[in-house]
Amino acid sequence: MVATFLSQFTRAQRRPFDRWSGGVIVLCGLILGPVIAVLLAAFGDSAGLWSHLYDTVLGRYVSNTLILMAGVGALAVGFGVSSAWVISRYDFGGRRMLEWMLLLPAAIPAYIIAYSYTEFFEYAGPLQSGLRHMFGWQSPRDYWFPEIRSLGGAVLVMASVLYPYIYMVTRIAFRLTPASLFEIALVHNRSQFWQVGLPLARPAIMAGLALVMMEVMSDFGTVEFFAIETITLGIFNVWLGMNNLVAAAQISIVGFGFILALLGLELYARSRQQYVASSRNQTPLAMLAPTKLGVLACWMVCVIPLLFGFFIPVGVLLGLVVTNDLLADFLAIREIIGNTLIVAAIAALVIMLLSAFIVVTASFRAGAKTRKLALFASTGYAFPGTILAIGVLIFSGQLDRGFAAVFGAQFQGVLVTSIAVLFLAYIVRFQAVGYGAMISGVRRLPANMMNASRVLGQGYMESIRQVIMPLLKSSFLAGIMLVFVDVMKELPMTLLLRPFNFETLATYTYQFAKDEMLEVAALPALMIVLSGLVPVILMSAMLRRYR
Amino acid sequence: MIYVDFSGSQIIRKLIAGACFMALAGGASAAVAAEKINIYSHRQQVLIQPFLDAFTAKTGIETNVVYAAKGLAQRLKAEGPASPADVILTVDIARLAEYADLDLLAPIQSKILTENIPSRLRADDNRWFGLSERARILVTSKSRVADGEIADLEDLAKPEWKGRICSRAGSHDYNRALVASMIAAHGEAATEAWAGGVVANLARKPQGNDRSQAKAIFQGLCDVAVMNSYYYGNMKFGDKADQKEWAQSIRLVFTNQSNRGNHMNISGGGVAKYAKNKAAAIAFLEFLTEEKAQQLYGEINFEYPVNPAVTVNGELASWGKFKPDAQPIERLAELAPKAQMIIDRVGW
Repeated sequence: MVATFLSQFTRAQRRPFDRWSGGVIVLCGLILGPVIAVLLAAFGDSAGLWSHLYDTVLGRYVSNTLILMAGVGALAVGFGVSSAWVISRYDFGGRRMLEWMLLLPAAIPAYIIAYSYTEFFEYAGPLQSGLRHMFGWQSPRDYWFPEIRSLGGAVLVMASVLYPYIYMVTRIAFRLTPASLFEIALVHNRSQFWQVGLPLARPAIMAGLALVMMEVMSDFGTVEFFAIETITLGIFNVWLGMNNLVAAAQISIVGFGFILALLGLELYARSRQQYVASSRNQTPLAMLAPTKLGVLACWMVCVIPLLFGFFIPVGVLLGLVVTNDLLADFLAIREIIGNTLIVAAIAALVIMLLSAFIVVTASFRAGAKTRKLALFASTGYAFPGTILAIGVLIFSGQLDRGFAAVFGAQFQGVLVTSIAVLFLAYIVRFQAVGYGAMISGVRRLPANMMNASRVLGQGYMESIRQVIMPLLKSSFLAGIMLVFVDVMKELPMTLLLRPFNFETLATYTYQFAKDEMLEVAALPALMIVLSGLVPVILMSAMLRRYR
Repeated sequence: MIYVDFSGSQIIRKLIAGACFMALAGGASAAVAAEKINIYSHRQQVLIQPFLDAFTAKTGIETNVVYAAKGLAQRLKAEGPASPADVILTVDIARLAEYADLDLLAPIQSKILTENIPSRLRADDNRWFGLSERARILVTSKSRVADGEIADLEDLAKPEWKGRICSRAGSHDYNRALVASMIAAHGEAATEAWAGGVVANLARKPQGNDRSQAKAIFQGLCDVAVMNSYYYGNMKFGDKADQKEWAQSIRLVFTNQSNRGNHMNISGGGVAKYAKNKAAAIAFLEFLTEEKAQQLYGEINFEYPVNPAVTVNGELASWGKFKPDAQPIERLAELAPKAQMIIDRVGW
């Protein structure tokens, strides 16, 4: 058999606790601190609000959230997996270009796409106006057109920008699937996709899907704009509307519970089956040559997600920008562009180094409990950004008081009043992205790789450096790219935790987009997309080289 | 084989050092106390910048700003005595009340402030002050609704408006405060019945912001909507040609003129409890209530002055004189949780 069945890496070199796993535990504790702060905040007295919520809105919140998660999850998997398959298995004209272009929607913040979609699809937008002109309709009463500000609209909008999380890791998984397995399917006349590709890529798909689910759960901008009453919208209604942060924290735990349940389900499913290839591709994977009709199908599979996730929203933004003085506007925001790139680059690097350390140590050194801790440390992503930011503030404030008590009063507020608090927030939130990228890489490693290295006399550290790290390189790079664009477009935490007079492209865009001044917001929004392009292209080139 | 030695990488070291430096610099700059004030603002920077520029030009005091719509009170609370913030600026009375509830504001004794601001627009204990008034009004289609056909907020629940009303989500700050004003006038039960009637009359699911309601009237989706009056000015004088069309298609109706007056909300501010530059912070609030700044509120964002000595002119004056709801603004914050519950129950 080329694939081996195993439940986990061998137990022999595991130690339940040493300085490596100690490091992981401390880091995970730091990352989980703000999450715990939110959980603790929920233990206050919510003044009997629950019976009111239960009687009125909670059912709506929960069902809307579940429908949104299911819809976005299904569509994002559809977009992400089909395009990843076509790109990694078929040889057709334009494949190389589409390969990196498919990542582009990741650079567009969901709230921006929501604004531009409304502009495009609504009654006064170009699409409906065109239809009216074509068919001679006079008023909205003359025809039916789907409402973009709806649950269905939100599913389309969010899936269109979130599928790259799945595409990115799944493409790597397909590419690293041993050619011999596909050959076996070919010989036995079985489907290469359904019987080989998909089952083997499942860990990667699930890792991507977990990120998508958490992103959906935490989104505020899109659901607010589309007025969809999800759990997150409820959190803000209770917090700001009823001046009740305790009840808001309690509702956010309901959402958090959903995510934990999902993660638990996936953990359980994975404990039942795990396939790992025992050899790397010795023979290069032969790409399939599609027929003419097949080429068309390949293009369709790639262009449809791109159309919804990139061309339509960017087209709308471009249409808004060209009417203004482009150069002057660009010069006015060059400092903001610089801020954004620096912050995103530092955060991406720090987060990926942390994630790499945590995942590698948890997988190859530490015990099962530490592995679970590492998983739970990536759940900060499931909280709405503002709520998590408040958790970060509470936690940092406590740390500062601890510092001040130990080292003296000059340390009062040293963390909470500096930009460090913003970076802590990025780490807490986007650790999930780094974790997802690294863990999907680790899960694909042959189980005996580490054992072989240790048997050959290498120490743990040497084995990691010489064997494991080179094999995780592509996952690391994929993670850097995802975190970079994520930080770049991050809004609610940056808005709340930034230093004085500090703008990123996202915060700058937001203050105009908030008032639906999309024409002013269009340029910085495009700059987010453009700045996202650079790492996307760079990383794609590197990934291609290292595969 | 490709191999990266993470621990030895120069670039990474430099970046980490850079991050540490930035962290320290951020902390240090907050601690320096020169002639400047640090502002936490719930109002967008673009809206307050002209005030800051005018203040700096007059006094030489520099201003630093963090703008965020939500959570600044929690930030201030977490920072405690170490907080660099001197001044808080907000929109909506509920936000001001949140700061007061968390005990994050300092009581200010200022004759200028108490003289310039009517007592219904400031806290009894002088912790927060209203700085501009915002009128939430009805807008109607010029072509489909006759002048005077609707006069009071109460009318929105009447059957003749069935399928003709557009609104943003009920739980938005602005609508919540509006419902709170109805509770203040009629009590909870009557307000709930009214809110249920409004929801039954809606032409479409609540969505969008105030501008989108004007757009919907222009498009013929509905005939009447609730809107803050300054959006009318912003649309009329904005850069977008289509928004000018929306503004042209609607008529402004100040409500409840024969009874309690039009529902008002405020933008306001206060001085942080642990302000390091307290004198400058007070001077800034005082500056905002003086003639020049009070006029600016109208010029920049079509809001009304709180200072009774300041007359409105220009575009604002052209909208006509009206009677504002005279109840203490603080009531709206007290009633906001009840208002939100009603909104939840009627599904607005």
